[in-house]
Amino acid sequence: MATAQPPRTPLVYEPTETGLPLLRPYLRDLWARRNFMWHLARTDLKAEHYDTALGQLWIVLDPLLMAAVYYLLRTVVRPAGSSGVGRNALIAHVLWGVFFFTFTSNCLTAGARSVMVGKGLVLNASFPRALLPLVAIIKASVDFVPTFVVYLAFHAWLGQPFTVALLVVPILFALQTVFGLGLALLFAPLMVFYRDTGGFLPYLTRLWLYLTPVLYLVSEIPPNLRPVFLVNPLYPFFGALGQIFVGAVPSPWYLLGAAAWAFVTFFVGAVLFLAREREFAVRL
Amino acid sequence: MMVDALRGVSFAVEAGSVYGVIGRNGAGKTTLFRTIAGILPPSEGRVTVWGRVTPLLSLGVGFNRELTGRENILLGGLAAGLDEETVYEHFAEVEEFAGLGEAIEFPMRTYSSGMFGRLGFSVAAHLNPDILLIDEALSAGDAAFRRKCMPKIVELCERDCTVMIVSHGLEFVKQLADRCLWIDRGEVVSEGPAGDVVNEYLAADSIDPTSAVALEDV
Repeated sequence: MATAQPPRTPLVYEPTETGLPLLRPYLRDLWARRNFMWHLARTDLKAEHYDTALGQLWIVLDPLLMAAVYYLLRTVVRPAGSSGVGRNALIAHVLWGVFFFTFTSNCLTAGARSVMVGKGLVLNASFPRALLPLVAIIKASVDFVPTFVVYLAFHAWLGQPFTVALLVVPILFALQTVFGLGLALLFAPLMVFYRDTGGFLPYLTRLWLYLTPVLYLVSEIPPNLRPVFLVNPLYPFFGALGQIFVGAVPSPWYLLGAAAWAFVTFFVGAVLFLAREREFAVRL
Repeated sequence: MMVDALRGVSFAVEAGSVYGVIGRNGAGKTTLFRTIAGILPPSEGRVTVWGRVTPLLSLGVGFNRELTGRENILLGGLAAGLDEETVYEHFAEVEEFAGLGEAIEFPMRTYSSGMFGRLGFSVAAHLNPDILLIDEALSAGDAAFRRKCMPKIVELCERDCTVMIVSHGLEFVKQLADRCLWIDRGEVVSEGPAGDVVNEYLAADSIDPTSAVALEDV
């Protein structure tokens, strides 16, 4: 039988002790699979809410209803005006707060499940596994865009200021995406090796929500609780966004803090994921 | 508890040849293929692969049941490692071979398992790799479609690429494979020319080699 010219370098598979895969070929493989990644995200997005009457509208309706519930909760506990905050400003704050928080919690939840959900692919096809959390992040980001447009409409309707500082929002969003990807890369292997992680996640995100200035303003944080917020990765993000949406210039410390959390989380997550991904198929 | 699925299995496959793998259920055939495909890392030893491997271990890998059959042809092809252009090149063939008629426009959750299998096989059969690993699960669907699958597998085996095939269809292995590996509980029992190994296997299992049923599916 005629034979195709064999390639010059073979692929060699050896035991996993060697740790991290070589970065350059790994990234090249990932890049070669970009179409697959994109189509997987696109078709998943299309398939979601397929059966519902309101369809894709749920992408916006979901966080909007959530924000309404949380605003109600907030006014019961501490009505607008009680701490020198106008009602419109508070509604706007809860809205963007819930929207931006939902983005990170979607990255965390979907990212953590991504490898488990992709079991069929992991067991039957060979590809850089980082593709799965990446798909989860692409989906979360695409879902976020219409939510943000809806927020801007509310922002205008509630008479909140439009200033140049709003141009910093895309930068913060980009950093928050990097942070979300880091979380996904960190939690996806945890989920594969310790299935119970999935059981704790909803409580973790709920607690995280309450410890982030979403339902209250940064100025309302009691002084004795401040140290807690300094170790909350989302605190600098929400601190900066809070300043931007009331028309102020964001503090460079917040921006630096956000960038530091984003890149450190991404780096730690990427190292953990890449060092462990070859064992996924054994554990699934 | 960790179990060694394969132990001391060592063999070489010549480029362009057809290599059969036989053995009972749970012998480690699929594990062997997953190791060659780079899906499962070996805990000891080494696998050296010269070329691009496409593993066909399961039908409909990457399919999304909410989407139409047509959309899934693209998704399945991309999942197997093809680029978009190549998938579109073979699109009509795949669609035609599956023979689903207008059902190709329906979401796949409305498909019967047979229809699912037909589209899955059709996508799998039109890939074009250097090294093809075929698990026998590939023949699915009704009798008519099975009859259509077999020649397609034969065609795949006769192509330029190196083919490794797991099969319980022993006559099939005898006919197509140049050499054959028989494994049992993770260890090699025999390796050599396909006809000899198959006969040994049949003798060991005390199955009458003239029985048509035995050769069809053991």
